[in-house]
Amino acid sequence: MRIALAGNPNSGKTTLFNSITGKQEHVGNWAGVTVDKKQGNIRRIYNPSGERITVIDLPGAYSASPYTSEETITKDFILNEKPDVIINIVDSSNLSRSLFFTTQLLEMKIPVVIALNKADILEKKGNEIDLRELSHMLNCPVIKTSAVKSSSNGLKELIDAAHKAAANGAEDKVAQKTDRDEAISDEDRFQHVKQIVAKVEKRKKTSDRQTIQDKADRIVASRWLGIPIFAGVIFLVFSLSQAWLGPWLADMLVGLIDSLYVLAERLMAGNVSPVLQSILLDGIIGGVGAVVGFLPLIMVLFFFLALLEDCGYMARVAMLMDRYFKKVGLSGKSIIPMVVGTGCAVPGIMATRTIKSIRQRRTTAMLAPFMPCGAKLPIIALFAGVFFGENGWIGTIMYFLGIAIIVVGAVIIRKITGDNSTSYFIIELPEYRWPSIKRAFLSMLSRAKAFIVKAGTVILVCNVIVQMLQTFTLDLQIAQNTSDSILAIISSPAAVLLVPLGFGMWQFAAAAITGLIAKENVVGTLAVVFSISNFINTDDLALVGDAAAVQSVLGIGSVAALSYLVFNLFTPPCVAAIAAMRTELESNKWFMGAIAFQLAMGYVLSFFVYQLGTLFTTGTFGDGFIWGLAAVSVIFGYIAFLMFKRKRQDAYLPRKAEV
Amino acid sequence: MPLSEVKLNQTYTVDKIDIERDDMKKFLFSLGVYPGERITIISKLSSNYIINIKDARYSIDKDLAKAIHV
Repeated sequence: MRIALAGNPNSGKTTLFNSITGKQEHVGNWAGVTVDKKQGNIRRIYNPSGERITVIDLPGAYSASPYTSEETITKDFILNEKPDVIINIVDSSNLSRSLFFTTQLLEMKIPVVIALNKADILEKKGNEIDLRELSHMLNCPVIKTSAVKSSSNGLKELIDAAHKAAANGAEDKVAQKTDRDEAISDEDRFQHVKQIVAKVEKRKKTSDRQTIQDKADRIVASRWLGIPIFAGVIFLVFSLSQAWLGPWLADMLVGLIDSLYVLAERLMAGNVSPVLQSILLDGIIGGVGAVVGFLPLIMVLFFFLALLEDCGYMARVAMLMDRYFKKVGLSGKSIIPMVVGTGCAVPGIMATRTIKSIRQRRTTAMLAPFMPCGAKLPIIALFAGVFFGENGWIGTIMYFLGIAIIVVGAVIIRKITGDNSTSYFIIELPEYRWPSIKRAFLSMLSRAKAFIVKAGTVILVCNVIVQMLQTFTLDLQIAQNTSDSILAIISSPAAVLLVPLGFGMWQFAAAAITGLIAKENVVGTLAVVFSISNFINTDDLALVGDAAAVQSVLGIGSVAALSYLVFNLFTPPCVAAIAAMRTELESNKWFMGAIAFQLAMGYVLSFFVYQLGTLFTTGTFGDGFIWGLAAVSVIFGYIAFLMFKRKRQDAYLPRKAEV
Repeated sequence: MPLSEVKLNQTYTVDKIDIERDDMKKFLFSLGVYPGERITIISKLSSNYIINIKDARYSIDKDLAKAIHV
């Protein structure tokens, strides 16, 4: 049996889905968190008969006529896949809008059961809904639920009702068909809904009065305080994860990894060949350990991001940023993929589906990976710790640098495409609520698990390969000097190109290349090629204990280090994100353009950071200035050519008016 | 009168929606923005308007506020 969950955005479909399937899909308090259908099997406690029941969570929709691409998924699924029963999740605090979609679902000739969700909020507000009357008027079962609660939440009753409705489905279909045969106009439908609401709902207060929440909105989205508050929140999130709480937790974990290293070394002493021992110790425990050591930082980031997404602030950030993003041809909706992308770029890129304009959607999808994601956090933490004392600031600066790059990128792309259209902006503002610590904790654990799995597979394999490549020479002899190794030979040509950026050493080139597979690899590979067993010192409670020692091993100055950090953050993302970009861009031309643009952006930025930084600190330009300048000039020239070319053509073309 | 010029905290009735794109009109309809429906501006923040339609709050930009006539 297949149950589809459908309803308005932010009515709690995914929360309900997670509760009944035991899964941990991404939830958040704004409209449009779920942009793809998710599938899961129902938990045994809700399904005593043991029959196989699959639940499909669908993206939210306001009506059966889709507006954005993720709403199309919902409509197509219901029409083409014909689930046995639809559970229509209705936000009980907004019956008058939600029931419009309900009336449309009722006409699809599939049994419908209504979950009147957020019943806890309804009670808190002192509003009442007459369930029996509602069920009678709609001619379908209505069950009160509160999916956020872990007990007495109505979910058992809901599944029972869905089960029954599906069983009776065949008979009911005929009856419903005769009931409503002619097409009903949408106006009539809303009229019908109004009559129902008037009859079943008792409200203490009408919703069009000022509330404390509205006062809060006036502060967080005010002209002068809006941006500083947003910056403060981001600073807090980064400082907690990278400077205050994260390193303290990381320290304890690294202690464990270190003891594992010592233990493994002792076990192998004398029994295993030095080469194998080096692969195991330095490659696996050293390389993977260097990455896993940063896990607590990432977990803290995920935890606070989850809190942020849960409280209702995201929609306000979109409203706030709309003023500024509109000026560069984007809209406030583009900020959501960026904030989501701070956790991981893949869901961030997918979140662009809620953007209606195709040019804005593509622009956001190719620019969102510039945000520093969780996997880039170890790189930031490492370089911030080794070269720059204050950790929290570097993360925050990189975050806003990411936004700045996106703004510049958006302007360039708008010029290149010649599409100057603007769009109307509208976003639902959900009610603020206290974020759930438990939910944030569970979300953090599930993402930490994914990280550990990744470290144990992709990153482990990469580190072993890197370790082997740097152990052997081309004729498969053990390299006396790592600069004769295969790794050095294959990464040297790339390193030459990096000279004008300040880090033209094969080790850095190798790490940047493995970083394309997964960004955590940058840290892992650096640990392997420089044989640093751990970046996190256990003796004093600091992220990178002996910063000076690590600095001397790496052999670059702080200007070059900043340049390398910028390079890794702002070049193309990992392969997973690149694949997601390819899917969402839906165009080869855009995809190739996106990769080229990201490469160019990383190169140009690093060049300026290194050369100007060197100029300011030493009074002269750094290595390879002329060559770099030539490359950067070519990039600038080509971009200018693309922008100018389009402008000239535009003079002959009528301007397209998109939404 | 366009919504961008009306008083705060007073409920108005939508008169017409001056938007060419049909899909946007349909979308607004599904939220309950159509002639004859009630609409209230809760706050005006910089160039954003916070409005109440049915029982929900939305943030809209000035262009949209200009396109909705009450």
